Amino acid sequence: MGNSAIIPADQITRDLLPQKFGTRGVIWTTILILTCMLGAFAYYRQLRYGLVVTNMRDYVSWGIYISNFVFFVAISLVGSLITAILRLANVHWSTPLTRIAEIIAVSAIVFAALIIIVDMGRPERFLNLALHGRIQSPIMWDVIVISTYFFISLLLLYFPLLPDLKIMIENKEKTSKWLYKLYRFQGSFWKGTKEQFRLSDKAINILCILIIPVAFSIHTVTSWLFATTYRPGWDSTNFGAYFISGAFLVGSGAVVVAMYVFRSAYKLEKYITELHFDRMGKVVVMLSLLYLYFNINEYLIPAFKMKKSEELHLEELFTGEYSKMFWFAIMVGMIIPIFVLIFKAGRKPLPMFIIGSMVVVGAWFKRYLIVTPTLLHPFLPMTNVPESFKHYFPSWEEWAIAAGSMAGVLLVITFFARIYPIIPIQETITEQTEHHENN
Amino acid sequence: MKIIKQNILSLLFVFTFLLLPVIKIMAQEDTAAGTPVVKLHYYNNNNSIQYVILESSLKKNKVFTPQKNKSYALFLDQSTPENLIGNILTDNEGKAKVFVPPSLKAAWDAAGTHNFIVKEGEEEIISDYAITKSMLTIDTASEDGVRTITVTAMKWEKNKWIPASDVEMKIGIERQASILSAGTTETYTTDSAGKATVELKRDSLPGDVNGNYTLAARVEDNDLFGNILVEKNVPWGVPTTIDTNFFNIRALWTTRFKTPYWLLFMAYSIVIGIWGTLIYLIVQMVKIAKMGKTP
Repeated sequence: MGNSAIIPADQITRDLLPQKFGTRGVIWTTILILTCMLGAFAYYRQLRYGLVVTNMRDYVSWGIYISNFVFFVAISLVGSLITAILRLANVHWSTPLTRIAEIIAVSAIVFAALIIIVDMGRPERFLNLALHGRIQSPIMWDVIVISTYFFISLLLLYFPLLPDLKIMIENKEKTSKWLYKLYRFQGSFWKGTKEQFRLSDKAINILCILIIPVAFSIHTVTSWLFATTYRPGWDSTNFGAYFISGAFLVGSGAVVVAMYVFRSAYKLEKYITELHFDRMGKVVVMLSLLYLYFNINEYLIPAFKMKKSEELHLEELFTGEYSKMFWFAIMVGMIIPIFVLIFKAGRKPLPMFIIGSMVVVGAWFKRYLIVTPTLLHPFLPMTNVPESFKHYFPSWEEWAIAAGSMAGVLLVITFFARIYPIIPIQETITEQTEHHENN
Repeated sequence: MKIIKQNILSLLFVFTFLLLPVIKIMAQEDTAAGTPVVKLHYYNNNNSIQYVILESSLKKNKVFTPQKNKSYALFLDQSTPENLIGNILTDNEGKAKVFVPPSLKAAWDAAGTHNFIVKEGEEEIISDYAITKSMLTIDTASEDGVRTITVTAMKWEKNKWIPASDVEMKIGIERQASILSAGTTETYTTDSAGKATVELKRDSLPGDVNGNYTLAARVEDNDLFGNILVEKNVPWGVPTTIDTNFFNIRALWTTRFKTPYWLLFMAYSIVIGIWGTLIYLIVQMVKIAKMGKTP
């Protein structure tokens, strides 16, 4: 936890048990539900009238939906970074953040899968992937790897939750009847015996090892959806590493934002301390530098060679139609975070929250820039096509569905935090005890 | 005399100087509004399908911009309701296509030369687009390994077909989007007998599965005849063989039934390895659950 003061176990339990929504929580949840409903209505219109309600046409056939998909897959990778990589590296300070990271991973990956179905236009044809799918196609790999990653993340969320379920069942008076029933259904069998802990720890260790290659695969395969297509801006052998580094960055940014919000909303200052922000700040700086390095690789080399086909694409990004968005994404998503977070004062909670938000917003625009401008610059010139084919700006239905999916991710996280402890109670108690005994 | 001449020159200079802004303003007015340009193109394909394409654009600062959704009425010879070919609306490219309707067959057959008239609202904007009826025929010969193409151009005059001389045309083989010249020059011109003969210089061009390809002769934007096209299929090409074996091998581009073995091995090893481990973990979960239920 980072502070030397010993907190009694019962106080930890009291502090970390799920709390009812306050006024702000109700307003927040209502806004999210309304946004989801607007997205659902827009999707109804898309189903009713077809993909023509979007502004996607022959050239830009992957618009804001696929940008959102890549963004969600990217953000979900943080589960493997915080939970698995740091755990295997025997880093203990990240314990209070593991569940935040895992629920971000699960909710993001669920909506990544949903947004792909939204993009299909004819969702009933999704079944054809199972019936007629070709293992040669990267789309097939994506479906396999997303479902696998979702399942592993779910298990990684569930196994460490078992001891906390026992604590919540024991604190029956502090919970509602239906939640008590839910806890009993999910974890009444957990008695906390030595053998149960042994099996559970073993399972968590296996999952931590397993999730790393799967997480790398999920985003590498997503990058291959682009890189296996011969297009200016996508024709790169570097795309897998480029996507993974960006994914870790945006995921860490999201965790920082969530840390700040949960810390403020649930008064968790004793558990999510300034030390956590400081360490996460250093992680974000490292990942920003890494992602910046890959960005330089991705743009400098094609710009140095300036092949005719790449020229227009790069000009549009650097000085043309997309230049404002491009430089915004680079500055806000990488450069400014590096310069702010290298100073200790920049790694305090509030600056970290602002920087975390900037990283997430910058990352969303970066995904948009990876998808759309390339589609507008095909190798063969656009001739004899309607004017609307030559430009792309999402329709209100696309914006509403994208906003609805983002609200959906936040809603899952919000409800999870209402039902389950967002910081592992049992692990916090155990670590504090071990820390005390060691000292 | 010299003084008078100098005065006239000075006056001319002053006059021109004063007039310049006026000319400039007039030019600006013209430029600001733009000048509508409407053109007609007559087409006759294989001596059977006659149609007209109207092209409407706005000329402004030397740039032509297509005029979309503009409506015009097209007439044959006279701008009377009975001679109406059709009311037309331009598309996004400022073009509209209209066929000569069967109801005007009698009028069409009655003369060798026809005038197309275009009206925009009540205003007649084209009245001098005249077309003389014509036809092209294409004949082929093959002697001693030498293949020749003879195209004959005829025009309808004084109630009979007579040879049309000095008609420039492309003669060759139809390829993707144009005509590949059969000989060594781009275009050929008919002689006094209305004939243009070309020796085929293109050997070994691919045809269809039976070795057929299409010969074509095309007259483009001729002042008298418009655009005329005639085509003929000949078995002069090299038969194309379809390599069906291409899809029978195990490769990345084939159907799911022809997946390469190495990919199947890799993909299934990974899937079985990971999902096998996950099933093992589910079993562990069941074990944990059973432990909790045992008293």
